[in-house]
Amino acid sequence: MLQFLINGLITGVLYSLLAIGFALVYNTTKVFHIAASAVYVVAAYMFYTFASVLGMPLPLACLLSVIVTMFVNWGTEVVIYRPLKRRKASLNVMMIASIGLMTILVNVIAMFYGNETKVIDNVIQKTYTFGELIFTTPQMYQLVIGSVVMILFMLVLAFSRYGLRLRALSADETLFETLGYNTNGTRSGVFVLSGAFIALASCLTVYDVGLDPHMGMNVLINAMVAMIIGGVGRFGTCILGGVLLGVLQAVVVYLFASNWQNAITFVGLILFLFFRPQGIAGYKQRTV
Amino acid sequence: MEYILHIVIMICIYMVLVLSANLPVGMANLLTMCQAAFYGIGAYIGTFFLMQFDLPFILLAILVMGFTGLFSMIVSYASVKLKNDYFILGTLGFQMIAYTILYNWTDVTRGPYGIPGIPTIKLFGIVELEGVVGYCVLALAVAIVSIWLFRMIKSSPFGRVLKAMRSDELSVRALGRNTTLLKVQTFFISAAFSGLAGLIYSSYVSYVDPTSFTLDESIFIITALFIGGIGNVKGPVLGAVFVVILPELLRFVGLPDAVAANLRQIIYGVALVVVMFVRPQGLLGENSK
Repeated sequence: MLQFLINGLITGVLYSLLAIGFALVYNTTKVFHIAASAVYVVAAYMFYTFASVLGMPLPLACLLSVIVTMFVNWGTEVVIYRPLKRRKASLNVMMIASIGLMTILVNVIAMFYGNETKVIDNVIQKTYTFGELIFTTPQMYQLVIGSVVMILFMLVLAFSRYGLRLRALSADETLFETLGYNTNGTRSGVFVLSGAFIALASCLTVYDVGLDPHMGMNVLINAMVAMIIGGVGRFGTCILGGVLLGVLQAVVVYLFASNWQNAITFVGLILFLFFRPQGIAGYKQRTV
Repeated sequence: MEYILHIVIMICIYMVLVLSANLPVGMANLLTMCQAAFYGIGAYIGTFFLMQFDLPFILLAILVMGFTGLFSMIVSYASVKLKNDYFILGTLGFQMIAYTILYNWTDVTRGPYGIPGIPTIKLFGIVELEGVVGYCVLALAVAIVSIWLFRMIKSSPFGRVLKAMRSDELSVRALGRNTTLLKVQTFFISAAFSGLAGLIYSSYVSYVDPTSFTLDESIFIITALFIGGIGNVKGPVLGAVFVVILPELLRFVGLPDAVAANLRQIIYGVALVVVMFVRPQGLLGENSK
């Protein structure tokens, strides 16, 4: 049982990372960045290319993948969202365009790399034992790197000027612009940072379980659920939601079977949407 | 010849699906991500009735539409409670739950194995539909009836109230309209027609399995709708024709299958993005402003 909880916790950390990546964009720009699922896939395949095809050491491959993904995610803002915003497109229109972009990216990847599942590293992983608990090497990386990055992010958010600007932008964009801040610049920063989180979540996950071009959507939806459960409008809540979702899913797997995991997740989502749309610790949203 | 008739049948099925998605999405601005769930529910309910009873088509259609419509209540409830993104997420959740149930409730749906050998539809209880020609006539009839009906809805008072609700729900309520009832009706009609498409599909291919009714299928329907155009009847019809014909055209170009499948998706994606930039209401859609 404890083993299940720990596994759930680690899955939860990965959800949290992706949820932060999604929430960075969603909270500040209100864009429903569905293309993040494709960006996640791009990151995975960059990691695969650097690590398995070009044979670079894993940390370097991960770093390069993060950098490329930052540019790709920023590219979605420059190519799609910013021009649409200039045309005063509604948020729904942006979301539909985002779906289009997702379709393009995923299928370009599938065309180049094929539709089959690939693995990064097929040696048998060393395991670590702590008392009764067993960790695999990827799990250790996931837990340690994931937690450190999230703690750093929370510190940056709370104490740096950029963090303050970010929170200001998510509170009121018009006011932010009126006060003379560079909205486009801050938005670009948001997308770059979001790209880093998406890439990190992706690399840590695919190092463990492998990758295929159509994996993005399912993971992203789980991250969205994590964001909703935790609470929209803030970032720390994503961590709370992600970990909670990961543990909940692990408990479901322990008690029932893994094939009902999705159903329980989404019943949870719908219950939250109906009865506590602001999540566990989110700001109350104004309905427009 | 059979090949062309097959394409016509698929166009008709998608026409009904996209038209029924257009009612909430285009007319009432309630973006749903669960049209494939209703399509699937209709297909499975249709399969159940076809295999258990020997009913004439009209009765069968009414039963399937009614039962599928009942499931739409969940979505209507969500549409009353939830706004904008939250509603989209809610419908997304409904789609995932419906798919998981179809996939995992193996006692009833046989899950991933699917249900083979679904009997053909009988018109008036006597005439059994024969082969592709029969289904083509039926699918065309259903598509024409749907086009007629959705055109009626658009110009009816009901359609106009829907459009008013799209622009300002509070004002519509202030003028004494029951918007909750309006949403329930909208989703009922939409789900019922998606279910009808499911019934024809399952009986035509005589096999159902849950992988035809995934979230990707929902997104596909929405893609077709937004490429063709929202808010009227021309748009969805064009969208359905486009998404069904395109893969067939690519087949004639002679690309290998694996590349063709991806290329087709890329073309859909590009079309969608371009349309959002140039005409956000879709190629033949109505301007909502």
